[in-house]
Amino acid sequence: MYVAVKGGEQAISRSLELLAEARRGDPSVPELSLEQIREQLRLGVARVMQEGSLYDEELAALAMRQAAGDMLEAIFLLRAYRTTLPHFGYTRPLDTNAMRVRRRVSGTFKDIPGGQVLGPTYDYTQRLLEFGNVASEPSTQSDAPMPDVMPRVLDLLDAEALIERADAGSDPEPVDLTREPMMFPADRATRLQNLARGDEGFLLGMAYSTQRGYAESHPFAGEIRMGEVDVVICPEELGFAIEIGSITLTECQMINQFHGGHGLAPQFTRGYGLSMGEGERKAMSMALVDRTLRCDELGEPSVAPAQNQEFVLSHSDSVEASGFVQHLKLPHYVDFQAELSLLRTLSKQHAQQHPGEEACAAETSS
Amino acid sequence: MMLAAFAHPVFDSQRNFRELLQAMARPASPRAMPVVASAPAPILPATMAAVLTLCDADTTLWLQQPNDEVATHLRFHTGVRLTQSTMEADFALITDRAAMPPLTLFAHGELRYPDRSATLIVQVDGFTDNAGMRFSGPGIRDVEQLTIEGLPATFWQQRKAMQAQLPLGVDLIFIAGDRMVALPRTTRVLED
Amino acid sequence: MTSDYNFAFLDENTKRMLRRALLKAVALPGYQVPFGSREMPLPYGWGTGGIQLTAALLGPDDVLKVIDQGADDTTNAVNIRRFFARVTGVATTERTREASVIQTRHRIPETPLREDQILVFQVPEPEPLRTLEPREAETRTLHALADYGLMHVKLYEDIAQYGHIATSYDYPVLVDGRFLTSPSPIPKFDNPKLDRSPALMLFGAGREKRLYAIPPYTHVESLAFDDHPFEIQRWEQQCQLCGSGDSYLDEVVTDDRGSRLFVCSDTDYCGQRRAERAA
Repeated sequence: MYVAVKGGEQAISRSLELLAEARRGDPSVPELSLEQIREQLRLGVARVMQEGSLYDEELAALAMRQAAGDMLEAIFLLRAYRTTLPHFGYTRPLDTNAMRVRRRVSGTFKDIPGGQVLGPTYDYTQRLLEFGNVASEPSTQSDAPMPDVMPRVLDLLDAEALIERADAGSDPEPVDLTREPMMFPADRATRLQNLARGDEGFLLGMAYSTQRGYAESHPFAGEIRMGEVDVVICPEELGFAIEIGSITLTECQMINQFHGGHGLAPQFTRGYGLSMGEGERKAMSMALVDRTLRCDELGEPSVAPAQNQEFVLSHSDSVEASGFVQHLKLPHYVDFQAELSLLRTLSKQHAQQHPGEEACAAETSS
Repeated sequence: MMLAAFAHPVFDSQRNFRELLQAMARPASPRAMPVVASAPAPILPATMAAVLTLCDADTTLWLQQPNDEVATHLRFHTGVRLTQSTMEADFALITDRAAMPPLTLFAHGELRYPDRSATLIVQVDGFTDNAGMRFSGPGIRDVEQLTIEGLPATFWQQRKAMQAQLPLGVDLIFIAGDRMVALPRTTRVLED
Repeated sequence: MTSDYNFAFLDENTKRMLRRALLKAVALPGYQVPFGSREMPLPYGWGTGGIQLTAALLGPDDVLKVIDQGADDTTNAVNIRRFFARVTGVATTERTREASVIQTRHRIPETPLREDQILVFQVPEPEPLRTLEPREAETRTLHALADYGLMHVKLYEDIAQYGHIATSYDYPVLVDGRFLTSPSPIPKFDNPKLDRSPALMLFGAGREKRLYAIPPYTHVESLAFDDHPFEIQRWEQQCQLCGSGDSYLDEVVTDDRGSRLFVCSDTDYCGQRRAERAA
């Protein structure tokens, strides 16, 4: 006699035990400390904070450890925790002009006021695995101290009126996508917010497609800067601004050729990317996609996937995408049964209308 | 001295919401507000309970009869943003039903987003079940009969005009004593 | 790092946002209200919309039932029930009759629901037109104009091609004669239970950030044509456990030689019937 399967509860609890065991690995190997993750896997921590929309290195490290290094799972853990945090208000806009720069490069001018500053980058490492312990040598201090404020490369073009103003179009108060649903068409501030939370891999692929002819972008890396920026809030009850700390940011300003049209003069246009921590690949991808998504505003024909804002913005989020792709693991018995009985009906009908064919198929398969 | 709000905000709001939800889901059928809250005049305790349950800093509220005590009380307990403009109001409190502004002054939503419309909380004199006007529509099994006491006759003319614009419209919650009745935009008034 | 969560996990601001949206949803039967869906501790696509609605509804006196595919013991149902037991402490049940709130994925219980019950559906894709028109900006406009020609054409093409409407679940309905609505991926077998239901029915799509409602006693019409009326699935078999001839059946493969067994998908309904027969 058939007995319906029971025991979902026990199955789940046993699976959780197995997971805990697998996550920890060999117990004779010391467990990673959060400090180790934060200090030695800082680029992973930065990505988890950025796409998790929460600047907290320790929580990001905890999430990475709990997720056994699965970055998307770590991002999801951080997002779910973020939901439970009280919302106190919004900071003042971050002033990246006043960034205490540790890295700053431009692909558009050989030399620039303030200089090209490589900083800590993998760019010119020769990708050779370094076997053995990595000895950390103290870095040599530069002879010339870094200037307090570095002028922006794009301001040089602005002075000549060769590039659109930074506030081209309008700059409305952004909606908070962590509290409000996305609406289409989305304005640029909302789009940028979505891209900032978007999956790095997805944005990278989208950005890459714009360089390969799916949209015309003609980009130049006007300026990429990384360093520390102060975070300022202005509580209503105080009535004045106070600094609550500083965070590491990577900012990318792309310069894109624009031949004019749609009532606009030929000029360079901008694409913008910003990422928490050292997230240069993300910031650059974001800047390319941002510029491409401005096609309607600039009167460019919208033909490529990266120009289609519903396509890009609806599919950029790894937590949404990962959940929905993987939900196919859940039982679909009922719907499958419905499809099965429909298919049986259709197939019976087909056989009646085409007598002979079934026999043929049976012959070929035998 | 400032009046208190709910004694148990989490659970009191939840109980009130469930009744508000049932009221909206079963129009023209009076039910009691489970937990009322002290309120400065002219706001009734059951009205205040609805406001505490639904309003916060993310909502705008229009007061027909604003006064300092009411404003201070609402700001302190809910953080709700008070507005002078009927069109901008998510919620409106009508405390003098005879001088109620026309329904057309409140947001009816947009065709693509008809939910972006006002909810009016209207204090009335009382409800008489099983007598008076007859209502049908979503949430009503057959026909509900109800008299909402103290509404000006013009109200029903305005509401009839509003129904021609469905799905645009405003939704109404009437309060009398500790009882409430909802009249969402879809509820139809049966003509005799 | 705290593990001290509010009752029902969500903070009160989020619950108020959901509650306001739910009232508008009830006032606009079948219309999809956008809401600020939160990231929940369960994955998108696994019931986060239903979970948020249930979280906004639940109070200490509620009795919660959670089903997936009609069954209380499927792993996702167990997990969601465990979540609410953990963050609310409310009583849970597997009995449809005992529940005040029922969260469901893909089924409507066979036991008729009452006026004092609320059914919460988990919805993966709230937009019934989405597979025909992927752009939200466009589908919004079609709803505004009540222009559902696309769907009628699709169903009609099915008939022309297959002689049947080839939609067996998530079968579109017209609510109160106005909004074309997805009933969620319930089999069309369950569609008649949507019409003039005594219980309030709420639908939550967390990933798509939309919620909607079908109020009690609302006319819900499954789309059809005069010459091709709406029909539900029927089985030649009866449930081999309880003998029911009018419930939705799961097909169970019992060996590798093609043997099949048909049993009720609604495990509570099936269990109750067997208990009654035994008594």
